[in-house]
Amino acid sequence: MTQASDSMAQGAATDRPVANAAAARRRGSFVERNRGPLLVTPALVTLFVMNIFPLMWSFGLSFYDYRLTRQDLPRFVGLDNYARMLADPSIWESLQTTALIVAGSVGLQMILGFFMAMLFQPIFPGRRILLMLVLAPMMLSYVAVGVFFKLFYNPNFGLISKLIEVFQGTPPNILGDPVGAVLGIIFADAWMWSPFVMLLVLAGLVSVPKYLYEASQIDRATPWRRFWTITFPYVRSLLLLALLFRTIETFKLFDTVYIITEGGPGTATKVIVQYLYRVSFQDFRTGESSAIAYVILFIVIVLTNLYLFMVKRREQEQ
Amino acid sequence: MRTMERVSRLRLALAASASAAVVAGALAGTAMAQDSVTLTMAAPDWPPTRFLQEYANANYTSPSGREVKVELDFIPWPTFYERVAASLTSGEQKYNMIITDSQWLGAFIEGGYYREMTAEILADPEFTELVADIHPALISAYSVYPHLTPEQVKEHPFPHPDGHYYGFPQFPDTYVTFYRTDLFCHEGEAAAFEEEYGYKLPCTYEDWQDVDWDKYADIGEFFQRSAGEELAGEVLTEDFAGIGYQAGKAYDFSSMAVNAFIWQYGANIWDETGQPCAQAEGVVNSDLAVEAFEHYLDLLQYMPAAVHTGQMDIFVLNDLYAQGKVASAINWVGLGAPVLDPSTSKVADVTAFGPAPGLRADDGSIIRYGNQGGQPFVVTTWSTDTEIEEAVHFIKWWLSDDVQWAFAEAGGQAGRMSIMYREGYNDLSPLNRAHVEMMEWQRDVWHIPEFFELLTYQQDQFDRAITGQISAKEALDLVAAHQQRVLTEAGRIQQCN
Repeated sequence: MTQASDSMAQGAATDRPVANAAAARRRGSFVERNRGPLLVTPALVTLFVMNIFPLMWSFGLSFYDYRLTRQDLPRFVGLDNYARMLADPSIWESLQTTALIVAGSVGLQMILGFFMAMLFQPIFPGRRILLMLVLAPMMLSYVAVGVFFKLFYNPNFGLISKLIEVFQGTPPNILGDPVGAVLGIIFADAWMWSPFVMLLVLAGLVSVPKYLYEASQIDRATPWRRFWTITFPYVRSLLLLALLFRTIETFKLFDTVYIITEGGPGTATKVIVQYLYRVSFQDFRTGESSAIAYVILFIVIVLTNLYLFMVKRREQEQ
Repeated sequence: MRTMERVSRLRLALAASASAAVVAGALAGTAMAQDSVTLTMAAPDWPPTRFLQEYANANYTSPSGREVKVELDFIPWPTFYERVAASLTSGEQKYNMIITDSQWLGAFIEGGYYREMTAEILADPEFTELVADIHPALISAYSVYPHLTPEQVKEHPFPHPDGHYYGFPQFPDTYVTFYRTDLFCHEGEAAAFEEEYGYKLPCTYEDWQDVDWDKYADIGEFFQRSAGEELAGEVLTEDFAGIGYQAGKAYDFSSMAVNAFIWQYGANIWDETGQPCAQAEGVVNSDLAVEAFEHYLDLLQYMPAAVHTGQMDIFVLNDLYAQGKVASAINWVGLGAPVLDPSTSKVADVTAFGPAPGLRADDGSIIRYGNQGGQPFVVTTWSTDTEIEEAVHFIKWWLSDDVQWAFAEAGGQAGRMSIMYREGYNDLSPLNRAHVEMMEWQRDVWHIPEFFELLTYQQDQFDRAITGQISAKEALDLVAAHQQRVLTEAGRIQQCN
């Protein structure tokens, strides 16, 4: 009994390191086998907690009558919030205003950005410093740009108002006029983001092989022909990228509008995101605001997919 | 062996001492923690709350013997509502007390965030006495929910049989007229004014007591000058305006002034005390209300150009006045301090104050109804018994004679009648006489949870009228229809026979 016990103990002592080594191998192999999933798990957990879960939660809320400031329990109302939203003329007015600002601002950004890129295409002394200065607006915060332009448009002392006053004799009421206010927002946003378009287009312009221009000169091609057959094809897809990217961003425009006009005069510059902000954080109609947020999300997803499609196409071209 | 024993005993003794020290320390820590309370308070960032923080730091000690620290979280005005609302609704339970705008009472009481304090007041005779001394307009605006009018509060001083008390005045505000004595008391200007309008240009406080809206329009017209013209013997380098009042799109920066006109004309906003039978349509857009709003809009022509942008909020107006670009302005008493400070105002030494103008009644008196401003303290529902006890001590301290007087000396205003009517009170600050006179005319806007839905839409439509896009009638018709819909959906309006 004693001998048997001894040999068992001996055997166990011999087996233990082997078992430990096997366990270590198993552990090691688990880590090795799952290295990829383990590495992405923290990112996935963060994504789920910070993005996917709130998205799902707010999607659920969009079917409930619920206000964050009330103690009443959420009441299921089906598609009522969506129906109510679609029947509300204010949201259509905000969508129209948003479309107008997007069209005006992005259009202006494309034109200005393109021409600035053409100006900066040739190498000239001081180009680098000038380029840095031109790029400065897009480095500023939206709030700073909003405050600048609110002051620029002030009829009593605003720089832009005073400049216009020189020509027309009286100070303009830029922000008190619905058309003036929309133009004011478009101008401020275009001032800030035209350099971004310029940067993208410039990247396309510098990639045009010089020999093509040399060959076109030998062929005595006109400047317009050179632009249309050589330059434009190289920047076309980049311009489309800039167009889509800026459209998505301008669609979400809030800060600048909020600071310059607060959506006024009246509701003349109330963009869709500001409408959402009001319903969410001033009226606290939480269920309804979730429905509005989903409609905005849908529009942004459509635009984003278009953007990704363009990126893919650009990659294929290259 | 003996050495070993000694070492063991020494170790044992050391361990016991250390344990005793740890336990004693822990107990002391617990005792200290129990004796120390921090009251965290959300507060708008402006002089009345800055004074509260500094004065409390220097002077407040709790009668309970606990070490009480009062910490104000200063939030800029433009984002104050959103920040407080976000904090309350997120459940972070950061604040024990809030210096709240009175209009938010309904939303946050019905949301379960503001605590009713009636039991605490009734349980403490000293507290009861203090509350009974608070001006009825302030009890109406700041304290009771569901709302009671100042008249209802006057009929039944504390405790009102239907009264549920929540808030206590931190800073009671009214709007008064700021004016420049170098212009209004200027001999040449006074003579020219009298020649043109046939009566005296107001110079003294007593003169301003007789200024109605018609006279205020005359003042506006008289002092409206262009660059190059003369003003009080000096050539103007830029355009100058005669009068100003709030006409901004943001928050409540036109509603507060429009309400004054509406009440003065005998019209009304939707009456929350008349639920569920009180209607919005037919009341909010009554002929009298339209006439009142038209009168408000009519005076805008004499104001600085910024008014036509819909951006002349109370701060822009104050800046324009302090920079010497307008002869007089109707603004909150709470904004008087920067105007009287030479470091922030070009007109600090030539500014005086009078009551806000009003509508002349048939008997010749002036009706001056205005919208109550200022903020009360409230206590949040999650505060512990100890924190509530300390909050009560702190509120009682703030409402005590000496502190109310010191606050008034520093440019604030007292909420208690026995202080504001005390001899010498009006001499504490050049603003006080006008404020005390205006206190008798205060009413308040709605306190219901739908407050913001009513306000934001109303501000939009008022702004459209201010910027000339729609008429006063169109604006009020839209506002009335919106209010009728929102309040009916909320169950606050029913058709009663």
